Amino acid sequence: MGFLTLEGVSKVYGGLAAVRDVDLAVARGEFVSLLGPSGCGKTTTLQMIAGLVEPTAGRIGLDGRDITREKPNRRGLGVVFQSYALFPHMTVAENVAFGLEMRKVPRAERDRRVAEMLALVHLANLAERYPRQLSGGQRQRVAIARALVIAPPVLLLDEPLSNLDAKLREEMQFELRRIQRSVGTTTIMVTHDQAEALSISDRVVVMEAGRMTQIDAPYRLYEQPATAFISTFVGKMNRLAGVWGDGGVAVAGTVLASAPADVAAGTAVTAWIRPEKLHLRPMGEGRLAGRVASRFFLGGHWLLTVGTEAGDILVSVPNTGEEPAREGEPIGLDWEPASLRVEAGAGAAA
Amino acid sequence: MQKNGPVALLFHALVVAFVLAPLVVICLVAFTPENTLTMPTTAFSLRWFRAVFEHPDFVTAFGNSLWLATIAASISVAIAVPAGLAIDRYRFPGRDALNGLFLSPLIIPHLVLGVAFLRLFALIGATGSFAWLVLSHVIIVTPYVLRLVLAALSGLDRSAEQAAMTLGASRFTVFRRVTAPMILPGISGGWLIAFINSFDELTMSIFVTSPATVTLPVRMYMYATESIDPMMAAVSALMIALTALAMLALDRVFGLDKILVGEK
Repeated sequence: MGFLTLEGVSKVYGGLAAVRDVDLAVARGEFVSLLGPSGCGKTTTLQMIAGLVEPTAGRIGLDGRDITREKPNRRGLGVVFQSYALFPHMTVAENVAFGLEMRKVPRAERDRRVAEMLALVHLANLAERYPRQLSGGQRQRVAIARALVIAPPVLLLDEPLSNLDAKLREEMQFELRRIQRSVGTTTIMVTHDQAEALSISDRVVVMEAGRMTQIDAPYRLYEQPATAFISTFVGKMNRLAGVWGDGGVAVAGTVLASAPADVAAGTAVTAWIRPEKLHLRPMGEGRLAGRVASRFFLGGHWLLTVGTEAGDILVSVPNTGEEPAREGEPIGLDWEPASLRVEAGAGAAA
Repeated sequence: MQKNGPVALLFHALVVAFVLAPLVVICLVAFTPENTLTMPTTAFSLRWFRAVFEHPDFVTAFGNSLWLATIAASISVAIAVPAGLAIDRYRFPGRDALNGLFLSPLIIPHLVLGVAFLRLFALIGATGSFAWLVLSHVIIVTPYVLRLVLAALSGLDRSAEQAAMTLGASRFTVFRRVTAPMILPGISGGWLIAFINSFDELTMSIFVTSPATVTLPVRMYMYATESIDPMMAAVSALMIALTALAMLALDRVFGLDKILVGEK
């Protein structure tokens, strides 16, 4: 039994279903991400939990209580908006104190809790500033402090890091996780950034066209994607079209894998493999021959595009301090048979 | 930022000069010691300003105008803010009609409105009533307030209101603590423009004022039809000074660009 539950929740806008029949159970203290491309219904789902959008059908429960029709100001959930939605005419401290004021918390206790919360997000020295005097990362932390100070049962984050630059975003991911751990609040975050979802969540919910297509721990999502869409959306993935025949899967005439597949001989299959599961071998060795088409150095690793009979294949090579094969060099590719996933069908990826 | 070329700068300078020249001239003429509308050349005098205050009917008319403009602007704000919220936030039958209705006084000539009100007030026996005069002014200044309120609302980040709601604020508290302060520049700008328009209004007021409720522009008009002397220039200079002070105050508090051009 989940702490926060969605049962058959749908939202229809003028005949168009933004969210279709969604079921989700979030445990107390859990950090769950809703991941998907724009327009997949993830923000609508979050707004329904917050009470800002009324579901067309279904039931939303919080700690055993039905909150489906409850007004947002009665739910007591903490919400951090994509634009941060700070009150521009109030100082940082006044922004954070707002929720406590609404709860008629006495002045002394209010001041104490605001100070505590600002210390938690490392903003104690900026309490008297106005939002326009803060940087993006600081505003973001004010928004988090304002949402958390009311000690909400659930914290809802709508693309909280999307307005920050890359370096700050990474810092804030750690920061967000640290704050969430120390407060222990059940958190649901909406994001379109798969790396962000994978790095900070306990579980990731992938949404496609209004449906939840996979709910899993980050590493399981990465290793065992449930749909072709998830395969390509989460992490980098090589997709090879082939035919299931005698002795295994043949791609462009080369037998690549003998992984058993529950399909008849001669049917089209798709093979999937992650770039980091491929290994470079000298020319003539390995399972597949190819030629390095391009090479990117990314610090921790190299990303090579290798032209093969089966098409262009991305290969990730860890940086060991030595240069891997140069552009134009012929090489061989190898992998553990278990890392190649084979499924029936042409694998129409999104 | 694009730089203006010399021709454009010259053109801007000419436009500004064209707009300001009459105001500058009338203010200078107000200081003449002569009995005719001439530019003071040798000496400056405050005699015509003194003359204004020696005319009690002008002082009364000034008081009337001040009250009228203050009350009319305040009432129009009280109407335009809820109307603006409804028009901006909701899609309801008659929304466009309501928007059109609120803006129609801008389109109808004040002369026509004046005749219409004169007839209406005569019919209902309201001739000479200050309250009905206020009402007629509310009608002509509300469109200005509504425009500015709508502009302020369209630039408003609605998520701030949603945030306030999720923090436990009721709808009214959201309006009082978040929405109203955020659109305050638009509201005060609207109030001031309504005030100035009401204070200035002549064409319609000629028809709907009575000797007891005569406004300053009407009093000036009546005086000017009989004789033109530099006292008119002195009254004009006072009105210009009042308006300029009000605009200056508004600019200092909120910034005029922000109110009239929109949130930056």
